[in-house]
Amino acid sequence: MTPFLRVVGVGMRFGGLQALADVTFDVEKGSVVGLIGPNGSGKTTLMNVVSGVYKPTSGSVQFAGRTIADVPTYNVCKLGIARTFQIVKPFVNLSVRENVAVGAMYGREGSHRSTRASFERAQELLEVVGLARVADRQAADLTIPDRKRLEVAKALALDPEVLLLDEVMAGLNATEVDEALQLLRDVNARGVTLIVVEHLMKAIMSISTTVVVLAEGKKIAQGQPREVVASPAVVEAYLGSRFAKRQGQLEEMRRQAEEAGAASHGESA
Amino acid sequence: MPAASTGTLLRKVGFGGITGNRTVFFIMCGVLVAMLGIPALHNGYYENLFRGILMFSTLSMGWNIIGGYTGYVSFGNVVYFGIGAYTSAALWQHFHQLNLLLAIVVGAIIAALMALILGIPILRLKGPYFGIATLGTALATQEIISNIDWLGGGSGFPVHQIDNFSLYYYAMWGVCAVSLAATYAIGRSKFGYALVAIRENEEAAAILGVDPTRTKVQAWMISAMMAASAGAVFAAANGFIDPPTAFASDTNIFPIVMAILGGAGTAAGPLVGAFVLTAINETLWGHFPQIHTLFFGAVIVLVVLFLPRGVLWLLNVRGGWRGLVNSLGAYRV
Amino acid sequence: MEFNLALQDLVNGILAGGIFAVVALGFSLVWGIMNIINLAHGAYIMLGAYLAYTLFTFWHVDPFVSIPLAFIVLFILGYFIQRYIINFVVRAPILTTFLLTFGLSLLIINIALVVFHGDVKGITTSYTGTNFAVGPVTISWTKLWTLVAALLITGCMQMFLTRTKTGRAIRATSMDIGAAQLSGVNVAHLYAIVYGLGAGLAGAAGVLVSLSYSLQPSMGDPFIIKGFVVCVLGGLGSVQGALIGGILYGILESFGSQWIGTGLQDATALVVLLLVLVVRPRGIIGKAVA
Repeated sequence: MTPFLRVVGVGMRFGGLQALADVTFDVEKGSVVGLIGPNGSGKTTLMNVVSGVYKPTSGSVQFAGRTIADVPTYNVCKLGIARTFQIVKPFVNLSVRENVAVGAMYGREGSHRSTRASFERAQELLEVVGLARVADRQAADLTIPDRKRLEVAKALALDPEVLLLDEVMAGLNATEVDEALQLLRDVNARGVTLIVVEHLMKAIMSISTTVVVLAEGKKIAQGQPREVVASPAVVEAYLGSRFAKRQGQLEEMRRQAEEAGAASHGESA
Repeated sequence: MPAASTGTLLRKVGFGGITGNRTVFFIMCGVLVAMLGIPALHNGYYENLFRGILMFSTLSMGWNIIGGYTGYVSFGNVVYFGIGAYTSAALWQHFHQLNLLLAIVVGAIIAALMALILGIPILRLKGPYFGIATLGTALATQEIISNIDWLGGGSGFPVHQIDNFSLYYYAMWGVCAVSLAATYAIGRSKFGYALVAIRENEEAAAILGVDPTRTKVQAWMISAMMAASAGAVFAAANGFIDPPTAFASDTNIFPIVMAILGGAGTAAGPLVGAFVLTAINETLWGHFPQIHTLFFGAVIVLVVLFLPRGVLWLLNVRGGWRGLVNSLGAYRV
Repeated sequence: MEFNLALQDLVNGILAGGIFAVVALGFSLVWGIMNIINLAHGAYIMLGAYLAYTLFTFWHVDPFVSIPLAFIVLFILGYFIQRYIINFVVRAPILTTFLLTFGLSLLIINIALVVFHGDVKGITTSYTGTNFAVGPVTISWTKLWTLVAALLITGCMQMFLTRTKTGRAIRATSMDIGAAQLSGVNVAHLYAIVYGLGAGLAGAAGVLVSLSYSLQPSMGDPFIIKGFVVCVLGGLGSVQGALIGGILYGILESFGSQWIGTGLQDATALVVLLLVLVVRPRGIIGKAVA
């Protein structure tokens, strides 16, 4: 499999603090990678490195044959990587449509687009995320869920191949979360690879094809969502070693129950 | 849900987008066309007055590109005005060239180069830090020119004036009209949106693909060219140039106040501001020369205090009078 | 360059640095603690200078004696301006207060223009122009006493900020308004004190300026630029920074004048600023380029 996006030995040090240490994983094209870990584990830092906002102090991120750190910030989107921010940054005095149009003008396909075409593209994207009804409102007037939708629309306007989503669901209620998940599935179905940072387990479990777990700046697990989440190492990172031990015992009990169930099946058969 | 038709979109994109209120724009275009008739009145006072309005409108529009649209409040655009003025004067003094168009073009080119050279280091600063640095360039340039004998040193030199004096009026009108057209074109273009994106949030703009340094420098170069064009015509019309005249503090400050009052970040706003403030200035204070700047100072203070939220970008108070009253207390301790 | 000439330049620079330090200190306090770039600072300097001039011309008061008076008068003026004008927008984005202080500056300078007229004035005391020699170097008495006064002023400021209750409250507020308010600090009053101190320091600096420079209503503006450069060189909000930065700047300007030519001080200031920006855009001015 040709490597699509590669995180290779990434380390990030801020003065005395090692925020990330030797993080390595590959991202397959078209997949949805869930990035989880306890608070302070370095998830947002990693997002910042992958999107080119930070230059890693060691290691590198490779995409489309380029090392991201070598590309100036304003050219990263032209490679095909876009992201949303935890703290949303809309252009407050512009309308919603204008906000998205800027991305369409200067993103990966921007140089081919005229002003008019950019606005048409913006309108399309507003419909995809469900903001068409407020297209002419000032961005300052939006509700929190709508602001998040706007963030996603702006990122999509860049025509990305990879979309990084940083805690897009924070602050949403249950219905809104379901809507957001559906949106992400739609986006992924259009061929956009996603890397999603979330604290909401339900969200991660339902859309990720792979899960990567960070703790204290290191990668401690990677794999299918269900197995990763149940692994003792991950439980230990979130809840501590006592629970990890208990988790290990639970796993053992479950396995024994399965064998016993299979055995009784066999007996009764 | 069907996509909005292109027609509706255009109506929303072009006007009211970042070019400002459509009605105001057309009114000011009309006013501008009407002003072509002033020389026909054969009244020296009015011709000077309106030529002054045209000059300040141009300067204000120039400031508007870097200050209103891009959000970098420059206190040094008078440097480019002075460059234009001295180009005009030097072309006459040393090369015996009377051609006004030549003066404008050469002045604009030199000013643009200056903006490029100064812009790269200075545009790294944000907000008021940028403002102070530009203030420094204004003071420094005046000093430097005073020390260059080839440019007349501290005492300056005269500029030949042609008999058909009204030509200067039409030239200034032309410069103003071109500047308005340029601002409008910028407001309709991708470049204009890049400027506004930088003003709103430079980091976010960079993430969306806007190259901040390049864009800002380009904006400042355009700004400089407008100021220099006005300066080139001014020097010829004035008949004389020296450092205090070319780099006058009023010439630096008035355009800023005019743009802010009339509507920074809109195409026609600077013109509105220039008209309104000149009108008030002439009728009330024409007889007390020292009061001009005092008046402008008071205007700034009042505008800032009573429109504290988004003072530069609001043409209308949101939420009517109640909104205004509420906003008064928003930023106090 | 001849060694003696260089030495003279160095000494002149150090002597001149005192004024820049006091100017920068007032500017830096308001900037560092209230996040206001006070464009009216130059106007306060000018008022201090004209106060010294008036006292000297009409009542023969020696300028050095008028320093405390200038400080007090400008402190009161600054206190009221902040408390009842600037306070309305003190938490607005920094550009708003920038424009406001700019407008105030225009007002003050032009009122001064009407009152004092635009002609250039100067103060000539009995000791103006007198100097003494130390080896190959000539030291002007005026400039020497100016430096001494500047050191005294900055020293007093340092003691005020570190040893008094108000001084400590000021430093606490600069770190966290909310916490300070919860602790019972009257922030509006405190801000007015800080701004008053800034204006007072400017007034005192103005007196010192009047001894060595000529007076006219627009005299203060170049000092804002220099104050800004000193803050950039020496850092914000610290007395040591202002002092070191001020003297460093004085030396730079002195040598600059020698090479670039006299009468080009403003240009020198700009060149220094541009060099610092190009070489260390992020370093000292972490705030400015954030």
